[in-house]
Amino acid sequence: MATLLYLESLSDCFASWRKEGLTVLAPVGEGALSGFREVERAEEANFDLLITRTTLKELFFPRTEPMLGYRIGKREIETEEFMPPVEGRIIFGARACDSAAMAIDDALFDWDYHDEYWFRRRESSVVFTIACREPDEFCMCTSLGLSPDSAKGSDVLLRPLEAGNGWQVEPVTDRGHKALSSIEQHLREGSGATAAPAEVPVKFDLEACRSWLANKENFESPFWREISERCIGCGSCTYLCPTCHCFDIQDEGDTYQGIRRKNWDSCSFQLFTMHTSGHNPRATQGARWRQRIMHKFNYYGGKFDVDSCTGCGRCTRECPVDMGVTETLQTIAAKQKQSERT
Amino acid sequence: MSLQEHYRSQARELLAAGAVKMVVGYAEGTTPERRRPVFITEPEECSRLVLDARCRTNLAGYLLREGLLSDGREIAVYLSTEGVRTINILAAESQLSSAQVRILGFEIDRDEVKAMEGKRAADFSEAILAHKERRKKQAPDELAAKLEAMNAAERFTFWQGEFSRCIKCYACRQACPMCWCRRCVVDNNQPQWVNTSSHTLGNLEWNLVRAFHLAGRCVECGNCGRACPVDIPLHLLNRKMTGEVLEAFDHYPGMDEHQEPALASFRKDDPETFIL
Amino acid sequence: MSEPFEPKIVAFVCTYCTYAGADLAGTSRLKYPSNVRIVRLPCTGRISPMFILKALQKGADGVLVSGCHPGDCHFDHGNYHARRRWTVFNSLLQFAGVPEERVRFSWISAAEGRKFAELISEITEDIRRIGPFEQYHALIAETGSPAPL
Repeated sequence: MATLLYLESLSDCFASWRKEGLTVLAPVGEGALSGFREVERAEEANFDLLITRTTLKELFFPRTEPMLGYRIGKREIETEEFMPPVEGRIIFGARACDSAAMAIDDALFDWDYHDEYWFRRRESSVVFTIACREPDEFCMCTSLGLSPDSAKGSDVLLRPLEAGNGWQVEPVTDRGHKALSSIEQHLREGSGATAAPAEVPVKFDLEACRSWLANKENFESPFWREISERCIGCGSCTYLCPTCHCFDIQDEGDTYQGIRRKNWDSCSFQLFTMHTSGHNPRATQGARWRQRIMHKFNYYGGKFDVDSCTGCGRCTRECPVDMGVTETLQTIAAKQKQSERT
Repeated sequence: MSLQEHYRSQARELLAAGAVKMVVGYAEGTTPERRRPVFITEPEECSRLVLDARCRTNLAGYLLREGLLSDGREIAVYLSTEGVRTINILAAESQLSSAQVRILGFEIDRDEVKAMEGKRAADFSEAILAHKERRKKQAPDELAAKLEAMNAAERFTFWQGEFSRCIKCYACRQACPMCWCRRCVVDNNQPQWVNTSSHTLGNLEWNLVRAFHLAGRCVECGNCGRACPVDIPLHLLNRKMTGEVLEAFDHYPGMDEHQEPALASFRKDDPETFIL
Repeated sequence: MSEPFEPKIVAFVCTYCTYAGADLAGTSRLKYPSNVRIVRLPCTGRISPMFILKALQKGADGVLVSGCHPGDCHFDHGNYHARRRWTVFNSLLQFAGVPEERVRFSWISAAEGRKFAELISEITEDIRRIGPFEQYHALIAETGSPAPL
């Protein structure tokens, strides 16, 4: 026997949570317009989406957020600190790759200092992940040691029922248990057959990639220039990446008043490493792409013992010039295999 | 022989003879629908070159890669009429010398790709003129007409909704062959004219500034719209600007490499109906 | 009781004509509303559309850009260049949904003190009539930015 949640009672669940003062967010919209937004009823959500265009991370690490305001008067300086409100949220219908990314980024945001902005939102949110039934040609979670029904970073895992009319419910964390207890009356005990999770082919040998990247001789390899020759240096791969977490602190205002904000930033941008002197240690797009790959598959693992990629495939899916992590790692894995043979 | 084969062999000959040091063209992409820019330097690699109706990217911007043309050598590049106009503008703006650009011209007509005869940008003036005449008669698209029919507040609300989605990834700028500034105005902070933050105000400011900077320069190649990951209808802004300079100043960008930029020139009898 | 709405208007003017015209309005003791803040620049050719966006960003309800009549530019042709820019930017702003009453352009010579006073009265009344630029102010408020001093 398993716990089941039927689609027909989902609106009632949303209502129960909302009655408790929780905000319910779900994937809505189509294609480029899709993302997580507040919903009242189940019909507003789009559970047929393979994956939202923008990622779950926006809900924890917004594109731009105020940190403090300042106003310099004749006699005193006023400052005001901004913190995200601690409002309980149910995020219903994330994908396993997006949810796993949150767990991966926890390590970074709790590393040299504890990022309140991130953790306040993390601790007040309950993530319900729905296992995928069908991948597309860009999906590659299995190449990163994850799976379409991975529970990493989730508070509750939902497995779609074969009939398509609901989900089998598996609580993962205490937060998940608690959120489920609020909707207990809408859950059923039963034994509905669950659909097989999506079969996502493994696209590259991650171990081989790690070895090649760890070899210092490859740092200056002409490969980096070749693979990124067509890169135009925009930030779409990093901004659509569920794990990319770089930000810039920017003051908006003037000498007398303004606001200090935390804004997304991207290692793809030329300005990211530009020094005041005009010298740029990452002078070429190849060096910037190398940084992105090295950060994800070498440095991050060295520090936190996990790679900073969950295989959502958005980088390749949305790249204006058809680049992406997948092809780069496939090429790297092939290079490593070849060097092992010789 | 198909145009694809014809240009492959031309590319091969040009590289083999040392007439060009590189061919910038299209190759197959990750999926059967995708084409990607490719940079060929060896004659034997020319078999990778693809040319069909899926080759939509304007490749001209790649020629401005730092140092690429500084040795004075020629580069061959696959260009449609918009691409050739881009070369003319970039030459007029002193960003490159058109003598270094060997053109493999093509035009996409519905699902068919056709040859455009010519080697240098100057050889395509007739095709460009025909485009200008066609552009003059072009009706605004459905969405643009709908916007024009709205009142100001409704239009503001429309754009507010569109720009609220912008994530400031700058894919529009990076994909645009006209955005060649070494340092974009939005990346200057002394003074910081427009907000860099990706709130709706900052996004609105950014997109207006970009549209203005492209007025009289945009060739409507569509690179920005295709690059935008959140599908903001950027083409509406750029088309509006193109229509405006065409109507007010009879300026169609990229006619030839001596054409003065619309906003760096004037006529004493320019129209001024709105000035009090 | 809320205070009656007083429009905030920023005027970017060239020093040789419109600024001198404003000066003449003053020395002629002509009355005009005090809602306008004048920013003096060397020439309309120096007035970038960025200035207009900055004024709106800082909460202006209206903007006036004004300089020498065509043919009268101290630098010979700065205003001809400006005119082209205005044509394009004006059309862009309207397409973006900024009402045309919000951003105005004019030629006012050093001798036209009366025109200056009348124009300021006119645009102030126009903006008073349509009210604060609430749509833009809502975007500013969304940034969390403190209200201008």
